[in-house]
Amino acid sequence: MTATSPSGTTRLNRPNRRRKEALKGLLFIAPAMILVLVLFVFPVLFTAWMSLHKWPLLGEPTWIGLRNYTRMFSDQRFYDALGFTAYYTGIVTVVIFAFAFPMAMLVEQKRRAVPVYRTFFFLPVVVGLASASLLWTWLANIDSGFFSPLMERLGVTSGRVNLLATFDLAFWTIIAMVVWKIAGFTMIILLTGLQSIPAELVEASRIDGAKRLQRFRYLTLPLMRKPLALALVLSVTGSILAFDQFYIMTSGGPQNRMITIVYYIVNQSFVSFNLGYGAALSIAVLVILLVLSVAQLWLLRDKGEQA
Amino acid sequence: MTKARTNFERRRFLGNFAFHGSASVLSLLFLIPFIVAFLASFRRGPEASSPPVPPWPVNGVSFDAYRMLDTFGSGIWQHMLNSLIVSLGTVVLTVVISLLAGYGFSRYRFPLKNVLFVLLMATLMIPFQSILTPLFIMFAKLGLNNSLFGLTLIYVTLQLPFSVFMMRNAFDAVPKEIEEAARVDGVRDVRLLTRVLLPLVMPGVATVAIFAFLNAWNEFLAALILLSSNDKFTLPILMTAVRAGRLGSINWGALQAGVVVMIIPCIIVFLLLQRYYMRGLTAGAVK
Amino acid sequence: MRKLLATTTLAAMLIAPAAWADTIQMWVRSGIGDSFKETVKAYNAGHQDKVELTEVPQTDLVQKYATAIAGGQAPDALSMDLIYTPSFAASGQLEDLTSWAQSLPYFKSLSPSHVRLGTYQDHIYGLPLSVETSIFAWNKDLYKKAGLDPDKAPKTWEEITANAEKIRALGKDIYGFYFSGGGCGGCMIFTFTPLVWGAGADILSADGKKATLDTPQMHKAVEYYRNMVKKDLVPPGAESDNGANFLSIQSGKIGQQTLGAFAIGTLITQHPELNFGVTLIPSVDGKPSSFAGGDNFVVTKGTKKLDAVKGFLEYVYSLEGQKIMAKYGSLPTRGDLADQVLAGLDPRLKVGVDAIAVAKTPYTLQFNDLINSANGPWAAFTHAAIFGDEKKAFADAQAQMQQIIDDAQ
Repeated sequence: MTATSPSGTTRLNRPNRRRKEALKGLLFIAPAMILVLVLFVFPVLFTAWMSLHKWPLLGEPTWIGLRNYTRMFSDQRFYDALGFTAYYTGIVTVVIFAFAFPMAMLVEQKRRAVPVYRTFFFLPVVVGLASASLLWTWLANIDSGFFSPLMERLGVTSGRVNLLATFDLAFWTIIAMVVWKIAGFTMIILLTGLQSIPAELVEASRIDGAKRLQRFRYLTLPLMRKPLALALVLSVTGSILAFDQFYIMTSGGPQNRMITIVYYIVNQSFVSFNLGYGAALSIAVLVILLVLSVAQLWLLRDKGEQA
Repeated sequence: MTKARTNFERRRFLGNFAFHGSASVLSLLFLIPFIVAFLASFRRGPEASSPPVPPWPVNGVSFDAYRMLDTFGSGIWQHMLNSLIVSLGTVVLTVVISLLAGYGFSRYRFPLKNVLFVLLMATLMIPFQSILTPLFIMFAKLGLNNSLFGLTLIYVTLQLPFSVFMMRNAFDAVPKEIEEAARVDGVRDVRLLTRVLLPLVMPGVATVAIFAFLNAWNEFLAALILLSSNDKFTLPILMTAVRAGRLGSINWGALQAGVVVMIIPCIIVFLLLQRYYMRGLTAGAVK
Repeated sequence: MRKLLATTTLAAMLIAPAAWADTIQMWVRSGIGDSFKETVKAYNAGHQDKVELTEVPQTDLVQKYATAIAGGQAPDALSMDLIYTPSFAASGQLEDLTSWAQSLPYFKSLSPSHVRLGTYQDHIYGLPLSVETSIFAWNKDLYKKAGLDPDKAPKTWEEITANAEKIRALGKDIYGFYFSGGGCGGCMIFTFTPLVWGAGADILSADGKKATLDTPQMHKAVEYYRNMVKKDLVPPGAESDNGANFLSIQSGKIGQQTLGAFAIGTLITQHPELNFGVTLIPSVDGKPSSFAGGDNFVVTKGTKKLDAVKGFLEYVYSLEGQKIMAKYGSLPTRGDLADQVLAGLDPRLKVGVDAIAVAKTPYTLQFNDLINSANGPWAAFTHAAIFGDEKKAFADAQAQMQQIIDDAQ
């Protein structure tokens, strides 16, 4: 937010000139702002309004104040959804980073064929989550898919294993799919961080006799705080909002144990038609995300400045 | 001396081997799902539901799966056209609108600028799934539901925070001197934007365009809820019908073919624009 | 110029009554077979009014219809899973068809459970469009290969299990029994509850206000299924099949399966090679039962094309319409025509009609939340009880179902 206005600083600061500039600026941003206000901000406010009503899809809404919110606190399924979302977010973020970081270091090197590898790693990122989920639904299918028949053929398992039948197997299959789909993206963000570390600094520390691990801990990591923060925020917010993969691959998982919070909102709003309650849940998620994002950014930025 | 040299060479060889070995294995892991789906989609109809081990067509290449896919909904061409209309519409509108807004945010000073920008960015944190119902009700009042244009507008809106952020950064990165020179020549505002600055922010535009295209092409929940007649369905909605099965069984051939049809444009677009895409993404990440 | 305009207007007005053709927008859920599509085709070919069908995935139909009503974009009519008629009628969004329906000469012979579910507070909002019952099917070729009498229908679940074991022994990929066990509430209410219904139990009390899942009959039914899974008589894919592979018997590698009567038509037309027999589903104590399902025809309140819609429905109820429906696998909705309609058609369809007599349909406004939703308690129960911790499954589902019923009061 440090954009400088060229005309304002270089020429005389006459008030009506400034007003004209302001008007022009507002005109430039008007289409974007109007769209976002009408198609995003207003619907959000509308959602907040709806959350104070018992709002069936058919028929008239009735005002019930905060009852949707009090209901939330005694709703076991809401807690289950929160718990599962947290569990998924935690694990998938760790696994994504466990793959993306080494991958970023791999493609940061200046060797032959690196751009090719990078492209390959990144390729799944560009396909949609829905397409990826559909593709993996097939690959993970026990009768017509790829993985379990292949394992059986290779003798890894005796007989075919149904990868989507039990919670743990289905969960890790989905984690594998998400990592396959997302790791390339995180890799690129981390790569930009790695590349922004001045080569002289690395060289200097090497001359000072710093070991590889030491260099990573005391040089690479601190200098990568910002890209790390960005990658972390994107990964965590994306995971908290996960829906497609569970909807398409397991329909909420064996015995409804893979209902994420967004899945629960969609179910409440579009399956049970409790639009008011669904709206209240949406507001809750919104608050959670805002708090998390602010906390994440604040934590990482603060430390970065101290170091 | 020679011993040290061979030692060094051996180490370099081992290093190279370890590097290319691990990178190749990883690459293969990332590519396998694509390769398997692509090859398997050309198997004959009756083979489609047997496991793709080996994945390639063993009894001759055929387009059975694609023909089967064509029997769902209003035919594959119609749905591809719908997806294309929505995606290209999203690209054009997103580029134009975010170009203007990015320029405005980068080069002009006006009241509430930071507040408006933060407001724009904050929408990134809100799951749009939660505002689909209000959107649907609004669109119904405006006669925009079950319309590809309405869907496009939503996609553009969803793209804007990221795109405006990208474009503002792109404009910020343009050296002021270039602009000063143009200003001295009397070129400003819209003309400055289109004649002088546009070529300089093309990588940003490419990023915005490619993201807009991919997201619109792949989106499915909003389309599922807003589109209600067969002939308007985009590809992902068609695919949910394929996934749901017909007459009590899933036609895996059609699913494979459908996935390939959905994936190929993404990959082509990406490979063509990869340079700009990565450059733009990198610029965005560093800021 | 003005005169010309006046003449054409006049001409148009004169012609209008004869040439006035309406296009009825109608939605139908996908996956119920071709019968209705074929009927519409025949109707459009012979009438001035046209019906324009939109096929909506079964899982999305209720939601799409509800959102379309909210947005004023609803079709004129739709074919709705009959179990949803009470809740839509209750919300006041459907056209009251009472007087017209009662004036139909054959009103009394329309499928009674459809009319019962189409009735809300003594007004009729839904009329039968397609009738569907659940029945038990077996693969005669596999029976023969396993040394069983291919023409002898099993009468008890002991018999079914024993037959399944013999069939399983035929080969690595040949299985004795199949069901969509991956949390498909709609499949399991259809195929599994007859096991307890026939034995006098139910999952809901008669007034729909109490969940009554935990009965000895239900425990017994669960045991039969668990036992077959344990003995590896059911393909492992069943555990994660959310209904998409419901009709697995068509592969020719499944010995026995419970399915819907519409599948008889599908199997006959799509898989003529499959040699199968059908019978009523035995309950846990052997007395047969069935689920009466299918679709009700409902009309959106306030449609301007009511007369055209009525005309179309009368065609569906005509002998011609009924015959086309039956030919493509839907059972006759008019009892008085059943014999005429089925004459000359596959005799197996008769079993589907016979099932109507012993069939039940739950009446509840929360059918979707309780039973059909992929994430509802019934779907979770069937999976957990058969594949997981049985005791916990009963306790959890009983509590959750009661919770949902109470929340809605």
